[in-house]
Amino acid sequence: MSLNNFSKLFVDLDSSNSTNNKIEYLKNYFLSNDPIDNSWAIYLLTGKINKRFISGRYLKNLFSQIYEYPEWLIDTCYLKVGDSAEVITLLLKNKSTSRKKKLSNISLNELLSKTIPDLSKLNEEEKNFKIKNMWETLPEDNHLIFNKILTGTFRVGVSIGIITKSISKLINIDEEIISHRLMGNYEPSIDSYKLLVNKNINLQELNSKPFPFLLANTIEDKIFKHSINDFQFEWKYDGIRMQLIKRSGNVSLWTRGQELVNESFPELVEKMSHIKDDFVLDGELLVWNFKEQIACDFSLLQKRINRKSPSKSIQIKYPIIFIAYDLLEINGRDIREIKLENRRIELEKYFSKWQNRTANNISDIFKICDLIFPKDWPDAFTYKEKSRENNTEGLIIKKKTSIYSSGRKKGIWWKYKVDPMQLDAVLIYAKGGSGRRAGLYTDYSFALWKEKELIKFASAYSGLTNIEIKELDKWIRKNTIEKFGPVRSLKPEMVFEISFEKIQTSKRHKSGIAVRFPRITKWRKDKKINDADSLENAYELMKNIS
Amino acid sequence: MRTKQEYLIRYKDGNLYCELADIWIDPSKPVKKALITHAHFDHFTFGCEEYISTKETAILLKERVGDNIKIKTFEYGEEFKINGINISFHPSGHILGSSQIMFIFAEEKWLISGDFKLQKDETCKQYKIVKTDYLISECTFGLPIFKWDESKKIANDISKWITNSPEKTSLLFCYSLGKAQRLLNEISQTNFKGNIYSHGSIHKMNNCYKKLGIDIKDTIKIENKKKIDELKGSLILLPPSLSKGSYLKNFKNIQTAFASGWMSIRALRKRSGYDKGFPISDHADWDGILEVVKKSEAKNVFFHHGDSESISKYLIEKESINVLFFGK
Repeated sequence: MSLNNFSKLFVDLDSSNSTNNKIEYLKNYFLSNDPIDNSWAIYLLTGKINKRFISGRYLKNLFSQIYEYPEWLIDTCYLKVGDSAEVITLLLKNKSTSRKKKLSNISLNELLSKTIPDLSKLNEEEKNFKIKNMWETLPEDNHLIFNKILTGTFRVGVSIGIITKSISKLINIDEEIISHRLMGNYEPSIDSYKLLVNKNINLQELNSKPFPFLLANTIEDKIFKHSINDFQFEWKYDGIRMQLIKRSGNVSLWTRGQELVNESFPELVEKMSHIKDDFVLDGELLVWNFKEQIACDFSLLQKRINRKSPSKSIQIKYPIIFIAYDLLEINGRDIREIKLENRRIELEKYFSKWQNRTANNISDIFKICDLIFPKDWPDAFTYKEKSRENNTEGLIIKKKTSIYSSGRKKGIWWKYKVDPMQLDAVLIYAKGGSGRRAGLYTDYSFALWKEKELIKFASAYSGLTNIEIKELDKWIRKNTIEKFGPVRSLKPEMVFEISFEKIQTSKRHKSGIAVRFPRITKWRKDKKINDADSLENAYELMKNIS
Repeated sequence: MRTKQEYLIRYKDGNLYCELADIWIDPSKPVKKALITHAHFDHFTFGCEEYISTKETAILLKERVGDNIKIKTFEYGEEFKINGINISFHPSGHILGSSQIMFIFAEEKWLISGDFKLQKDETCKQYKIVKTDYLISECTFGLPIFKWDESKKIANDISKWITNSPEKTSLLFCYSLGKAQRLLNEISQTNFKGNIYSHGSIHKMNNCYKKLGIDIKDTIKIENKKKIDELKGSLILLPPSLSKGSYLKNFKNIQTAFASGWMSIRALRKRSGYDKGFPISDHADWDGILEVVKKSEAKNVFFHHGDSESISKYLIEKESINVLFFGK
């Protein structure tokens, strides 16, 4: 079993746009490789290895040293290719004549469990020697995989859903079971793979794992034909979606990204462990303004997300709350198959029980979501429009009779988001993209007027079609005023409609404002730069919402 | 050291020009006298009073644009004189009829590489090393990230790509002159033995190659109303211009690929919108350009077409080659 097989799988997956083909490729790979390699393959493909062992810069410098290539030349190549690992791979091809050594036939397991982790135990000289040796002994087809794993940039167009489907097909077991098994801390080993493809479903093994999350779809007009009474309405919070699980006395916090985050929120784990019942709750974690009883901005939550074992002072400065939407399991009884409206009754019942009987007051860290009761659809619209006032993104609309299935099932849950805020801004800088957009100018900065001056207020990357990107790229090359490294300042001429979700004051930006999720929604070729908005307009937007 | 104006060949209005002979090389607008290195459209423009090329280039050009042009032809290696300057064509290995052009005046040799490749290609004459004092070389792929695999390997990859999806119709996009014929020649030597169809524009060039004595596998000209079942498991060669738009709606259950040197870069491959990319080029890769610079023994080198900055800087720094620049 060799790395060659995995390299081939990567090429196949990378050059296919068909989900069915990808599932077939994966299935065939799993059929013809060792459990341990399969286990690592799944680990890699689900993006669990995102550690950067060596930086792209380090790799480029090392290559430059070994093969006496000027660094500027490698940098020029990088601008074309957009990925350090790939640049080195392509350049190594040019060096293949200098390879004399016998090619090694290393397995994926050996590479990932030994060769690469061992690099960190070596001093710089040994490390460089080892990498050089790998370059010279690995078959050419494996270079890209090796370099990408080294630089923590291994990615291929395979979703966890595709992997789930392929395993489900392989062993003929429901996708939901596989999805459940893949959740959480999947560690690569022969046992974990065997567990994954075990044809017997063992309830015990599933004990600490979350259920697959049910996701909302964007609202469709047809919903308005239904009676408003068929639906439950909640605010759509902008926090971290989570399942809070307590089974056999142990509390676990699982994000939708399948991360166990107990360590980041110890106060919640501690408080919830005092509750007598076992349960699985679906909800949202937020930093909460207890005085005004509204959510704080997402930026405050960011201060907590990546911090493990936060100090008491951090806990006080950024107080969190878990808002439960739904009860999925209670005292070992899976109630996902009962109707939402009945689950809600259970949720309310248990919440009041816990509030009254738990020695420790839980209401400073836990609550259930308030429901909204619009009297008709226009009223729902009015609620949605008011959502910015309480720092939410809109409404979540759930069918009262729905069961809790998994994934983005149609016709069960909808998100009814408030329209984005918009400003027309002038393109003033462009920067070269990376990855798939290498060689094109795809990272843009936009400015608003402040009297006679254009002040940068946001950067955006997304929103243009590929054809528009190419067209704009051409224009950028022709209308550059100055180049600063990869950045070009441009003749102010092009106006774009920029949409964003939030706007707030910021000391870090010259404009004095910061916006969240800025993206391009329209190329306003019909507008001249004098038609663009001013910073005053932006301040006005801020006033309107606070 | 002479000034730019005194060079035998220089850049004028974006084209290579020899003032002493009053002759242009692959001009992009109508002139009196034009030397044509090969029959690709980006090297040809209508309306010149007189064209001069190899015999093969002339025949290919006439096939493409009609008989209504005045072309004088010469064999490879045959010298002719214009205003006292000796001029001759030499094989450049790019496509059938493609040539380098040598200018000799007052014992000074100037060589224009034209588009060239060193790789083996049975559909045209192999690149000939010509010694010169001044070399004007193309550098379309003038970065070391470009290193071509043997065309045999690419042809085998293409063959596997088709045979691995027997239920599908495989559409391979490629330039209709040169690349298509080279691919046909290579693919006919692989394990793929199914039907090959080609688009009218490619079919025409195939016939032209055959007339000129090049052994090209027979293909079926693709008709618009082919039955889908008939096309299952076969290969269709199409020009890249048809990859976008409604033409593809004529087919069902297809897979697409593009054969081009640019396909060696993943980002370009992804962005191109084709399912797959086969990196095969009729231009020289980095090593190919360096080899030609070296073997030509040129003391002075110019680059044009492509990222000339990088390769120039590299040769100056690493190989101490005297690289010169045309003023624009």
